[in-house]
Amino acid sequence: MSEVERHSYDVVVIGAGGAGLRAAIEARSQGMRTAVVCKSLFGKAHTVMAEGGIAASMGNVNSNDNWQVHFRDTMRGGKFLNYWRMAELHAQEAPDRVWELETWGALFDRTGDGRISQRNFGGHEYPRLAHVGDRTGLELIRTLQQKIVALQQEDEQEFGDPEARLKVFQEATVTRLLTVPDSGSEDGARITGAFGYWRESGRFVVFEAPAVVLATGGIGKSFKVTSNSWEYTGDGQALALLAGASLINMEFVQFHPTGMVWPPSVKGILVTESVRGDGGVLRNSEGKRFMFDYIPDVFKEKYAKSEEEGDRWYTDPDNNRRPPELLPRDEVARAINAEVKEGRGTPHGGVYLDVSSRLPADVIRRKLPSMHHQFKELADVDITAEPMEVGPTCHYVMGGIEVDPDTAATPGVLGLYAAGEVAGGMHGSNRLGGNSLSDLLVFGRRAGLYAAEYVTELGDARRDVDQGQIDEAAAEAVAPFANEGAENPYSVHQELQQTMNDLVGIIRREGEMAEALTRLEELKARAAKAGVEGHRQYNPGWHLALDLRNMLLVSECIAKAALEREESRGGHTREDHPGMSADWRKVVLACALAADDGHIDLVRRSPEPMRADLLALFDRDELKKYLTDAELPAEEEGSD
Amino acid sequence: MTAVIEETPSAPAAKPARDHTPVVITLRIRRYLPDLVGPNGEPAVPFWQDFQVEADPTERILTAMHKIKGEQDGSLTFRRSCAHGICGSDAMRINGRNRLACKTLVKDLDVTKPITIEAIKGLEVEKDLVVDMDPFFQSFKDVMPFLITSGNEPTRERLQSPEDRERFDDTTKCILCACCTTSCPVFWTDGQYFGPAAIVNAHRFIFDSRDEGAEQRLEILNEKEGVWRCRTTFNCTDACPRGIEVTKAIQEVKRALIFRRV
Repeated sequence: MSEVERHSYDVVVIGAGGAGLRAAIEARSQGMRTAVVCKSLFGKAHTVMAEGGIAASMGNVNSNDNWQVHFRDTMRGGKFLNYWRMAELHAQEAPDRVWELETWGALFDRTGDGRISQRNFGGHEYPRLAHVGDRTGLELIRTLQQKIVALQQEDEQEFGDPEARLKVFQEATVTRLLTVPDSGSEDGARITGAFGYWRESGRFVVFEAPAVVLATGGIGKSFKVTSNSWEYTGDGQALALLAGASLINMEFVQFHPTGMVWPPSVKGILVTESVRGDGGVLRNSEGKRFMFDYIPDVFKEKYAKSEEEGDRWYTDPDNNRRPPELLPRDEVARAINAEVKEGRGTPHGGVYLDVSSRLPADVIRRKLPSMHHQFKELADVDITAEPMEVGPTCHYVMGGIEVDPDTAATPGVLGLYAAGEVAGGMHGSNRLGGNSLSDLLVFGRRAGLYAAEYVTELGDARRDVDQGQIDEAAAEAVAPFANEGAENPYSVHQELQQTMNDLVGIIRREGEMAEALTRLEELKARAAKAGVEGHRQYNPGWHLALDLRNMLLVSECIAKAALEREESRGGHTREDHPGMSADWRKVVLACALAADDGHIDLVRRSPEPMRADLLALFDRDELKKYLTDAELPAEEEGSD
Repeated sequence: MTAVIEETPSAPAAKPARDHTPVVITLRIRRYLPDLVGPNGEPAVPFWQDFQVEADPTERILTAMHKIKGEQDGSLTFRRSCAHGICGSDAMRINGRNRLACKTLVKDLDVTKPITIEAIKGLEVEKDLVVDMDPFFQSFKDVMPFLITSGNEPTRERLQSPEDRERFDDTTKCILCACCTTSCPVFWTDGQYFGPAAIVNAHRFIFDSRDEGAEQRLEILNEKEGVWRCRTTFNCTDACPRGIEVTKAIQEVKRALIFRRV
């Protein structure tokens, strides 16, 4: 076998979205020689599609805001299943990350006095989302990309080589993490590097590094209707599983309530929540604003009771409650689903999102320019003149790689870190809009920082990569060429997407999920026979055949965990178990790879009880909705 | 100005009913398969290949290409990512004009004739519609596309008035898709020209009230391969899928160079 191309680094970041780039900048700033490996061109990450903004309690628009309120909103949105320590760190550090981004050059919409403007968003008590029109994600990525160019030009001056300390390997896919057994623990592993291939040439490449940060994003391409881009094939989740790490909370998948349902070619494409934040309302086929019928008890006090009050809120938020169109995403998605099911949907199985009758055309064009463009250009729909037809679309996975809340390190695999959507815990059972971009920055930075710290402490005690693992990874990667013509990887992928959409989608039933697991077994067998033609150079069929392994592993985790959790909470709705159970809140489902047969094992974990000072941020009455009696704080004396 | 700009008629007041009757379209795609060498080792040559696909008129060209890849020829190679017109991966030359495949609707093209699809011009083709983007990104890096400031970093944000922020709004919309640069006849004949996209990204900082590096960037663009090579043909403005007034931005940089004032 010919010699494989090798590169040696201190920290290798896999993924070049917001979390990956922030991690890389941090690791490089800590003095690490850092590599970023990404599947697409540098700067084309899925993060660019985030429209709404970055949630951070800077209090620029409403000075009542602070990290405690942000923390509370995040926990409520996640139905108390969040790793509270992550939610705490996130709320505390998000403002610093936004200010930092601004000093790096990011463009933001401004308040009259020149500070960063903040907008309202579902589930956030105050206007909290720093934004640039509706292209905040694009600006975030561009700013981090610009920062990296700046750092590289510094290095060019210092070392004569712009890539001396930070290099981006673009259009390369990692298929395996390389590890050696960790002598310090019985079944743990230690990172030695990563194995992958160049998409252009198909040639293999090995990165030797004692620390790897996974920042590969989500899993949406396992579902038929999704707002996610092609990269979202669960790569990081699968790489972590295969290296011995665990995934938690995988049953919680967020279906964004307002994806396009018509015309067919744009099915799944997102309509940002800011359409609702800026006045857009949801109506059924009878023209009724049905969301008023779907305010759950836990939110009754926080949302308007009448259309009049909801409408007043847009101009006078201090004296009115917000309209229920701005409930957390899971509530809105379920409500739309229920309306459609009861026969009050649009001709194409959605509901109407109406902004045209609410705002003048020029205001819509000014406030929602990208949305206006997107609909006109992708679907020939003029949102200033007609309502949109929308319905739930697979948008985000709350679950992900189990990490230490402070350091982003994955237990069980020394030297492995994860940040952003690929990591689990932060958002509990449901993520609030705007909390994703802030998550990327807060935990991307932390992952880079602690990976650097780990490498520094490691000193010279690095371990060599195991040649046997490289050979195995290479054999695994070329296997589809030996299966020529056996199974079309595209057909297997389509059937996987249909299965997940139909059987493990927004409303779940025991029998259907069991059926899904049976079908996933069949698809696994077929995927193993997926064949490709041609050569390894830029061969998309081959790439998909390799991605199938990841999508199938992740889908199995989702289906198994969803079948196990017999309650409804956030992004997991069981028709056969409609209630939320305080006992189930004490359960975190962790998925790990079974040692012998490549199946997924489920383990129940108990989350750590929330610290008393954080618990004290909530009324006891509210806590009763989430916690068991034994978990509730003692009643204060003299309170009524 | 000598350029001819296609006028888009304004939309009629009454909304016409959309037609969703599927049509069969022919995509005539410029293929280049570098490993298709001749029997005596002759290098591979590009060729045209026709594919027929059934498509809804409101469907995007990208969707049709995915159908070809999935159902007819798995070797067809092109870049794509978000499919929302925001990442800027799928720029290609469709019927002779640079566009994003994900933002080009079937109904906006003449489907009675084959629709030609080629790689964007002026960059080396690696395979089918995939070109080597390195020279393009190098030009982007060469204009110092990052905020240059002096003094201490503030602990919170720098202040910027809404008016100052608005001043460079247009050029911050760039998605680095290369539609503009590879539609520029100057760039086709002179690969060293910075090209419209790099100038747009320089403009984004030159006119940012927070930035102090305007002089340096203007000097870079004052060089031989800088803004003076622009011949104001407006191809770039026409090609921009984000509606950026690219030519205007280039003119503003030229004016700043003449008057040394931003």
